[in-house]
Amino acid sequence: MRQLGQRIAAPLAACLLAAPVAAQDFSEGSEAKSWNLAAEQPARFEARVVDILCELTGDCPENCGDGRRQLGLERSADGVLVYPNKNAQPAFTGAVVELLPYCGREVEVDGLMIDDPDLGARNIYLVQRIREAGGDWVKADRWTGEWAEAHPDAPGKGPWFRRDPRIRAEIEAHGYLGLGEEADAAFIEDWF
Amino acid sequence: MKHRMLSAAVAAMMATPVLAAEGERVQITGEMIDTWCYYSGVMGGPDAVQGTAHHTCALWCSAGGIPVGLLAEDGTVYMVLKIEGDDGSAGGDTQLRLASHTITADGMLYTRDGINYIVVEDVVSDAGITNPNHEDFGPVPGFAIPDPNQ
Repeated sequence: MRQLGQRIAAPLAACLLAAPVAAQDFSEGSEAKSWNLAAEQPARFEARVVDILCELTGDCPENCGDGRRQLGLERSADGVLVYPNKNAQPAFTGAVVELLPYCGREVEVDGLMIDDPDLGARNIYLVQRIREAGGDWVKADRWTGEWAEAHPDAPGKGPWFRRDPRIRAEIEAHGYLGLGEEADAAFIEDWF
Repeated sequence: MKHRMLSAAVAAMMATPVLAAEGERVQITGEMIDTWCYYSGVMGGPDAVQGTAHHTCALWCSAGGIPVGLLAEDGTVYMVLKIEGDDGSAGGDTQLRLASHTITADGMLYTRDGINYIVVEDVVSDAGITNPNHEDFGPVPGFAIPDPNQ
């Protein structure tokens, strides 16, 4: 009996010790749309929305920093802090606007996980939809609408990133290459 | 007795992943990059999504709230959470101004679940944009610079 106990305890301990480094599969039930990225994996899981800076340092303002700070997803199944870098829009837009309404709350998310050892990418996430327990799914595509509301008089035509006042000011000051007007002019003449 | 010891060991091991991270003082030199393009490969290989080739896209992504990282000379990426008191890591002005710049940052390093995070207390030096890789890659993405002929 004693030997049996040892035989059971050793593999169990080894299994538990290995758990934090073993990649888990969170693809079950996911309806995430592919972005045809080399390292993407569908991932649907429950998590708590957290202010990452607060989690790491204890510096915790109200409401997760009101949108200034990056937000994380502390996964319920294993406590891993997933970093949502991207929302669902193909428009150079992050995930904070989508997650901020859920600051400190438990949610379920669906999207694409990026784990690429060659680039050092671990637990990087593109969130496509979010819901609270028992609630309806909400698409993570609010960013451009929020921008449009905040910039009703932004000049120019085209998508937000061509019209954003801060981006336009940076390009006006330092050029598209960041090297100044002369470098831009020489390159544009040569390239196009 | 044996059961109680095993249960305690299991409980201790299950609790390990939720322990808070500890900070370590570091000084890192690297380029301020757009992490989504770098990690996802959506715009091409890692060499193409930095420097002058990708500067305009780095501005778009930084202003769009995508996390900014400090890509060190050894290839390690540090997610930047704060710079000299500015906690605007989701589209903030300081990070936007430093897009594509090579800086030396002094601050605190936190590591959790395979991701490196840095809280920059002091930008020791800012060398500006030092990687003129547009000569190799052109603009990345190709539409970053509007075609003057259209």
